Amino acid sequence: MIPDYLDRLERELNFDRSLARSVRQEVEDHLWEAVAVDCTGDTLQAQQRAIASFGDARVIAAGFAATSLGIHSRRAGVAAILVIASVFIAMKARIAWYAAAQWTIGDEMRAISGPVLLIDRHAFWLAVVVGLSSWAYIRSRPIPAALHPAYCRQLRRFFLLCSLAAAALVVSVLSDAVLTSILLRGTALSVEFLVPIFSMAIEIACAGILIARIRGISLRQASAAALIGT
Amino acid sequence: MLKGHLDMIVLAALSASGSAHGYAVIEEIKRRSGGAFDLPEGTIYPALHRLEQTGLLKSSWTTADNGRRRRVYTLTKAGNRALVDQRAVWKQFADAIAGLLGGSRPREKPA
Repeated sequence: MIPDYLDRLERELNFDRSLARSVRQEVEDHLWEAVAVDCTGDTLQAQQRAIASFGDARVIAAGFAATSLGIHSRRAGVAAILVIASVFIAMKARIAWYAAAQWTIGDEMRAISGPVLLIDRHAFWLAVVVGLSSWAYIRSRPIPAALHPAYCRQLRRFFLLCSLAAAALVVSVLSDAVLTSILLRGTALSVEFLVPIFSMAIEIACAGILIARIRGISLRQASAAALIGT
Repeated sequence: MLKGHLDMIVLAALSASGSAHGYAVIEEIKRRSGGAFDLPEGTIYPALHRLEQTGLLKSSWTTADNGRRRRVYTLTKAGNRALVDQRAVWKQFADAIAGLLGGSRPREKPA
């Protein structure tokens, strides 16, 4: 009976798997201790009483939702800033390498590279501004005791800001990829290619990490919203 | 009303018992309140986790005598300070209500 209840609680907490595992252990300890101090001698009834006193698994899980979502959203805000900073460092390192190796874009490709460079710069600084705003926004919102509709709206706003920052960053990374391929076009393959290719790989990985984080928040929010919605 | 003061109740129970696991915190609340706070036991755990995340409590895992893993909570310095503040606010509130209901004027706050 207690294992069934613990399974149900863990399922209800599926918006945060590591939390679900630790809460399960904690609640298991609680329920078996309640059974142990029950003096009636009937283990089955003692388990029933322990579960009834503990409360509905769905209600308990909903109690954890606000803190979990709040913490994960704040972490995603920090991750967004770190990712954008990493892309910036990779970008600057590549440009420094081009300068050191005296690699420049040929005149025939300047008509294409000019607008791409403009898009790259604007998209990157948009990602910086929106990323910082999203972090500042979620950091300034206190995490409530319960997941109420107002906090859900704040989390949605944060999600939208983060998504916008990620979209801008993806545009910037794609522009970087185009610029890199223009620069490397026609150059003989050599070991010097490794620096721009490696820096581009870092940028793509960073953008991927940010997208995965945002997707994670979206899934958590959907699970938690379903929990309080019924 | 109880829900709004759950954090203070949990901090007070932990302050009294030192380090304690969830079950012991609930038992302490029941004992010290004379059984007046008969809330669903499970509601304590989200409060314990929230207080830990805000830095008012810290926790560690130990192994109980029965061999099960047990999470034990302790008040942090910030938690002690928060409890002192909440006690002062509660006393002021209780004095004001007592004055209101009993007809006696609450004590003036020192300037």
